[in-house]
Amino acid sequence: MTQPIAFLDGPWWPYLALVLFAVLPTEIWRWLAVVFARRLDENSPWLEWVRLVAMALLAGVVAKLVLAAPGALAAVPLTVRLAALAVAVAVVLAFRRKVMLAVLAGEAVLIGGAVWLS
Amino acid sequence: MTEVASNHWLRPWGRGFRDAVMLPAWVVGLSLMGVGTLARDVGYPVEVAVLSTILVWAGPSQVLFFASVAAGAAWSAIALAIGFASLRFLPMTVALLPLLRRPGQSMAQQMLIAHCVAVTSWVEALRRLPNIPSEQRVPYFFGFANALIVVSAFTTFVGFQLAGVVPAPVAAGLLCLTPIFFLSSMVAGIRGLGDTIAISLGLALAPLAGWAIGGGFDLIASGLVGGSVAFLVQRWRMTRGSAG
Repeated sequence: MTQPIAFLDGPWWPYLALVLFAVLPTEIWRWLAVVFARRLDENSPWLEWVRLVAMALLAGVVAKLVLAAPGALAAVPLTVRLAALAVAVAVVLAFRRKVMLAVLAGEAVLIGGAVWLS
Repeated sequence: MTEVASNHWLRPWGRGFRDAVMLPAWVVGLSLMGVGTLARDVGYPVEVAVLSTILVWAGPSQVLFFASVAAGAAWSAIALAIGFASLRFLPMTVALLPLLRRPGQSMAQQMLIAHCVAVTSWVEALRRLPNIPSEQRVPYFFGFANALIVVSAFTTFVGFQLAGVVPAPVAAGLLCLTPIFFLSSMVAGIRGLGDTIAISLGLALAPLAGWAIGGGFDLIASGLVGGSVAFLVQRWRMTRGSAG
């Protein structure tokens, strides 16, 4: 457990920590985007580049969350985690982009694998 | 506000809200249940868990925050990790805002729109907004995003209450909802070769870069390389297509 910063500690510490170390580092990029977007033309080819970089970044976050898994997920073997992702993608591609179905299938593989292997 | 004006805003807002509650909101909501569970593990009050959903509104940031506190990471390291993982919001929001641009739009409204940007609202907005008349887009988007946030705040609360009650495999399943859901909605939103390349390279390069570079810069590097390669391939195909 990370200990509170001593001179800021108190009953409000969890709220303060959330704002300082989670809200600000996340929100700052959304605010910066407002500033940048004002100068960008709607039809600029750069927008397409920006969108694709965002896609690749998002996929990178997925890879990190699965490889360096938090909490109880770390106890599930990596192969099961990867299989769950693969099944979800296969379902989205096969069943005309039904996200809910894909999520359920991926979760079934993950929970099933975790139960079976433990 | 006159009655005409409020109707003008309320009806598209309601349609957005309804479209989200029909399904997407519950998928996001489920994926944020794990956050409630993690928050309870570190002994933070339920209000902090629910506020994290409303104020941070980014699954990976919230997971990183509570999981890092549980692991005992330094505060500066937590903020840096979240900052780097959230960099995606810069290009995502920049790509979305022009679709929601209105004449004389206030700075405050743009910042509120930007706050609502997260995977689902982004993927769905890019898909749905072009088919909606431009004067209805802003209220539609807010309706959609508000439904996502309200449902997710509720499920975060439920996840907190369920922590410790659910067996380990289910707890693992809740934590894996975020990556499974992210990847599924991205794949569902694929519009062309460029998207496919960007997603594949992002997945493959992030672990490689993590090993080669590390320190949080790995995500940015893999995003810039993956996105740029995807962009170049797409351009190359377009020029070839128009020439031939």
